[in-house]
Amino acid sequence: MAVNFWDILAAVLLVGTGIMVVRLQNAVHAAIALIANFLVIAAVYVGLEARFVAMTQIIVYGGAIVVLFLFVIMLLSAAKANVGEDLLPGLQIPALISALGLAGVLIYALTRFQGPANPPALNGGLAQALGPLLYSPERWMYALLVVGFLLLVATVAAVVLVEPERLTRATEHPAHPAKGGEPSPKDEKEVVRR
Amino acid sequence: MIWLITSALLFATGAYGALTRRTAILVFLSIELMLNAANLSLISFAKLTGSLDAQVVTLFVIAIAAAEVAVGLGLIVAIFRRRETTSVDDLRGLRG
Repeated sequence: MAVNFWDILAAVLLVGTGIMVVRLQNAVHAAIALIANFLVIAAVYVGLEARFVAMTQIIVYGGAIVVLFLFVIMLLSAAKANVGEDLLPGLQIPALISALGLAGVLIYALTRFQGPANPPALNGGLAQALGPLLYSPERWMYALLVVGFLLLVATVAAVVLVEPERLTRATEHPAHPAKGGEPSPKDEKEVVRR
Repeated sequence: MIWLITSALLFATGAYGALTRRTAILVFLSIELMLNAANLSLISFAKLTGSLDAQVVTLFVIAIAAAEVAVGLGLIVAIFRRRETTSVDDLRGLRG
């Protein structure tokens, strides 16, 4: 694979936005840097003959996941999206050394990979090429069903986790009364009905 | 091959963020970065070996990441309602 100017540009953009994600002090800015990272990765996927995965990347990661992150950031800390200082200064240097060591080991392991001399073409990685693999019972169909069921379970779990009534029921006999949730009229009505 | 090196650098960047960030949401954001680095290496392996199976696995990784984000952000919201903080320094109830 010949390396040209655009490859270098995309790699520099990827690592640069990655460093912005882990270093920016404002949580919303970090999430937006993550969107930029995802979009550049999608462009790289198109170049690597994975067009269907690139579209999925844009829709699911850039469209759904980061928007969910932004919602939660603004829900939890609308007034203080600026998270200020990171961890203790004493932890920065060990974390940096660990990350550099991890990068060295990974680069050493990955660059020793030897593929076949003339790999077959991938048909651009379009849906016509991926579909028969994804839906044939002897390849990935059962894995697809399991992943679909997992998504259903995760959706139910997310709803149950943030259900307000369950939280108030759990804090009816608290060791120390909950500081946050002021009881709303709806909650009192629930207690009376019970 | 340049994409394998880039994915290694991205993975290490995400690991650095997960180690140093203090807000739980930002730790989670760094973990998403690491997941994407793994996806990038899978896609470049698909290109290097000429096999589409790695691209199918990447689709599964994306779906499972969506499920993980739903559950993880639900946990963070629930923790914030109980404790009024998501700083991982303050969540030491399991230390014993």
